Amino acid sequence: MDFIKNIPLHMDFEGQHRAERLLKIIITVFGIVGLTWGYIIQQFSQTVYILAAGCILTSLLTIPPWPMYRTKPLQWQPARDPESNSKDNSKSKKKK
Amino acid sequence: MHSALQRGNAIFAYTLSVLSFLTFCCFASTVFLDYTTGTDIKTVTVLVKNVPDYSASREKNDLGFITFDLKTDLSHLFNWNVKQLFLYLTAEYTTPSNELNQVVLWDKIVLRGEKTVLDFKNMHTKYYFWDDGNGLKGNKNVTLTLSWNIIPNAGFLPNIFGTGSHSFKFPAEYTTSRM
Repeated sequence: MDFIKNIPLHMDFEGQHRAERLLKIIITVFGIVGLTWGYIIQQFSQTVYILAAGCILTSLLTIPPWPMYRTKPLQWQPARDPESNSKDNSKSKKKK
Repeated sequence: MHSALQRGNAIFAYTLSVLSFLTFCCFASTVFLDYTTGTDIKTVTVLVKNVPDYSASREKNDLGFITFDLKTDLSHLFNWNVKQLFLYLTAEYTTPSNELNQVVLWDKIVLRGEKTVLDFKNMHTKYYFWDDGNGLKGNKNVTLTLSWNIIPNAGFLPNIFGTGSHSFKFPAEYTTSRM
């Protein structure tokens, strides 16, 4: 169970940007290649199939959060020491 | 944060956008093409009978009976935006009661990949050549024209008239014997 919970599911922000750029490039390239090939052999169905292949390839490359999308994790501020900041502490206690 | 589901949605939406653009390119590459071609039509037998039309009024109407030869080459009409052709043969004539009469006598579907050079000899019509009166007997100018609809992947559904129609006349006497 712990093993399943430890599978990373999120990309960092930089990774999301790269994934989105990659999906647009791959699908566009497959679309252009498909259109050219379909025009050469005069079969529009081949164009559609090539685009579908590009869609599947893109899904494999950008839907799972591969390690290459997790190279720049967010640098969180270090957690504050509760005792050094008594004012905040007292406020939160009052609310409770 | 973008989850896997949102990324999948983005891929699907973008693929559909690209597909619609490609379909438009396919349409734009064929929209100005010339889809006319020559047809060679001849009539072989031409008879006219006067028989009751039981499907309508039981009155005796003129029924034309023709067989025809048809020769045409449709191969250059097919491209990546043509799925099939619907060919139909019409007879057009004038009678005293109607300025314009058009009767579809025969039709045929030609799928892409099928034989496109048509050469039919002595073909019977598929549909009855009824006139709604006695306009066929002795009619001096009946014109047969082959036309076709182009069924595309994307775009318009053009209706093209073949060049090379054939005019013939019906005999001035009814045929009474059975054929």
